[in-house]
Amino acid sequence: MQRVLSLWPASWGRQQRSTATMITAGVVILLVLWLMAKPLSYAPEPIGPNAQAFAEGTRVTVELTVIAGVAGLFLGVLAALGKISRVPPLRWVASLYVWIFRGTPLLLQVLFVFFALPEIIPKLKLDEFSAAALALGLNVGAYNAEAIRAGLLAVPKGQIEAARSLGLSRWYTFVDITFPQAFKISLPPLVNNIVSLLKDSSLAYVIGVVEVSLVSTRIQAATFQPVPCYVTTGCIYLLMTTLMTQISNAVERRFDHEGKLA
Amino acid sequence: MSAVAPGSPLITVQKVNKHFGPAHVLKDVTTHFNAGEVAVIIGASGSGKSTLLRTLNRLETHDSGTIIVDGITVDDNHKHLDQLRAEVGMVFQQFNLFPHLTVLDNVTLAPRRVRKTAREAARAQALELLDRVGMKAHAHKHPFQLSGGQQQRVAIARSLAMQPRVLLFDEPTSALDPEMVKEVLDVMKQLATSGMTMIVVTHEMGFAREVGDRILFFDKGCIAQDAPPDAFFGNQQDPRIRAFLGHIQH
Repeated sequence: MQRVLSLWPASWGRQQRSTATMITAGVVILLVLWLMAKPLSYAPEPIGPNAQAFAEGTRVTVELTVIAGVAGLFLGVLAALGKISRVPPLRWVASLYVWIFRGTPLLLQVLFVFFALPEIIPKLKLDEFSAAALALGLNVGAYNAEAIRAGLLAVPKGQIEAARSLGLSRWYTFVDITFPQAFKISLPPLVNNIVSLLKDSSLAYVIGVVEVSLVSTRIQAATFQPVPCYVTTGCIYLLMTTLMTQISNAVERRFDHEGKLA
Repeated sequence: MSAVAPGSPLITVQKVNKHFGPAHVLKDVTTHFNAGEVAVIIGASGSGKSTLLRTLNRLETHDSGTIIVDGITVDDNHKHLDQLRAEVGMVFQQFNLFPHLTVLDNVTLAPRRVRKTAREAARAQALELLDRVGMKAHAHKHPFQLSGGQQQRVAIARSLAMQPRVLLFDEPTSALDPEMVKEVLDVMKQLATSGMTMIVVTHEMGFAREVGDRILFFDKGCIAQDAPPDAFFGNQQDPRIRAFLGHIQH
């Protein structure tokens, strides 16, 4: 699967091929989400008759991942900036956040946001999906913070000195010089976190979000056929993570301006 | 645009002190640099020459004393700093080109962001500067595709794009293979001839002798001698400096 890039015409440049891979994998994900009920419905019992439920569960899983992933990216950047800030209270807040969400089980966080948070702040009475998305976003954000912080610290000091000595303000130095380089360094661990997020979104089942894992458990309970149910679910996760990895590999190549990748 | 006439002080340094922990790296350094002048700073490693250069645009803070560049006091005021750094260009030993940008974007970035130059104008100016340093044909490459000497020439063009009043060179050829030193020194000579104010920290004695208007010799955090190159190299009385020159040249 790593060789998808070599499927493109040899005359295309590295960037064109990477872009083509990104677009193709993105389109395949959308097509799978849209159309997967169709091929699944031809599968034998107990999958065929429940194809629609599997398709809907998969859509919920991907929605959870995308929403929590985007939130986690923002939170990660904010928390990383907080952690390297020169203002002590910002550092404390960011460190406390990362400490709590990396130091407690995700399952507990999901349960806490859904059941306990409304007791503390009545306004935050969320539906199952929103509570799961919030907990997942907060969790992945804490892990992203460390990945992004490591990337920011890995940008050589000389780069910042060069930017500042050209008269670039601190804002432009960050936006034009530090962040693009840090992002590239952080990309592999960030992708790792997103792939984990896709799989961890299955924990949303404990508060009753009907994502693909819960779908398979329910069908399994009704049909007493665990093997086909769980194999199907496993295949759906594998397909999703594989497509996501293809996109991220392509993104890495797209931004590989230093020719470090073979 | 110049408030300072050629030959009068563009930069004044008054009783500047700097400590790194227990090390006293600049001791009451007082000097000045004139507009249009090429000052070459030499001395042993750790004598404070690079540190002085870096205090001039506040990449290094000084503990006491005053530095005034073209009427701007060098201090922690961010407005002063951005203003100062737009007027003072710097070329580094390690080039420090931005690896994620093309050669052209490396050169146009600062004028577009700081001077708010329009994209097309910045591009035209950048290509002209790249032509001047012999790098126009490489404008669309990324830095990793260039040799060290080529990268350093791009770095010089990048500094020039801000049209600085003075260019600081911090050992610009020390990280280069011997065969690339000449191409960079040639660009620097050409700049000096065009009247650019330059302060150069270097170990290239041939360049110092040929291009320098003044040689400043640093020793243990002090300027031990400040002399024209003919007197400095031709008729050196100080035994320590003679010993240093002997080491460097052989």
